[in-house]
Amino acid sequence: MSESTSRRHVETGVLENRGFLNLRLDPHKEKAVKAAEQILGQAVPLVSNTYGSGEHRVYWLGPDEWLIETDAGDVVALENELAMALAGSSAAINDVSGGYVALRIVGADARTVLAKGCTLDLHPPEFRPGRCARTRLARTTILLAADGEPDSYTIIAARSFTDYLRRWLAHAAEK
Amino acid sequence: MLLIECPWCGPRAETEFSYGGEAGITRPRDPDALSDAEWADYLFCRSNPRGNHRELWNHAHGCRRWFGVERDTVTYRISRSFELYPAAVPETDAALQSGPDNSNGGD
Repeated sequence: MSESTSRRHVETGVLENRGFLNLRLDPHKEKAVKAAEQILGQAVPLVSNTYGSGEHRVYWLGPDEWLIETDAGDVVALENELAMALAGSSAAINDVSGGYVALRIVGADARTVLAKGCTLDLHPPEFRPGRCARTRLARTTILLAADGEPDSYTIIAARSFTDYLRRWLAHAAEK
Repeated sequence: MLLIECPWCGPRAETEFSYGGEAGITRPRDPDALSDAEWADYLFCRSNPRGNHRELWNHAHGCRRWFGVERDTVTYRISRSFELYPAAVPETDAALQSGPDNSNGGD
């Protein structure tokens, strides 16, 4: 993670070598869900606005849609394995690594900085580790996740907005 | 700013949503059989009530799903949100045409 520090107790940086797969699947089709889970080695979260951690991170995006975050080097193999396992099911698996960048924002003031551009209630009882949400930050659409460690958040944003978001976060951290 | 309850994500700010107009407008099964007046009615005419209004919203910056909302057009008070396609196999017309008291959606 390349880091930048500021007056607020917060550091932001890009997470390098992250790859992303978009998974569409009918959650009522148990066989397909089980097949995906077997390949992933972890559960596909069925509860809204949560993510599962393990070898990968599997974020809930919608009632039939997930984003899998993993090492960039593993994306192609994982995509192929999932495509094979889900062949014949009403499912879609797509490599969207080119479209997204993961940022991490860490520090005692991380929540305060995020709250300047986000309407979600980010307080821990509400937005605690294991929670994620697609929402808006500073007029862009992001996927925000509360990491396992306190005061640490992952932001997954469209690649083309990343430069703007990093500047916005740096500016927000100065005041 | 409205606080809109997404059936999947819970209450979220209005800025995350886009509006989809009146709910329950069903596309005619055989458009060729309609008169120009009937087709124009389907395309352009809406009930525009004073009071309770069933309307479509899309959680565009969230889970990206369409759902229904009942909103009072005078007070802007939202009384409930409901899923449009609660079943695994969508029954579009039935889900849209049945009344809000029907057990089609969660609150």
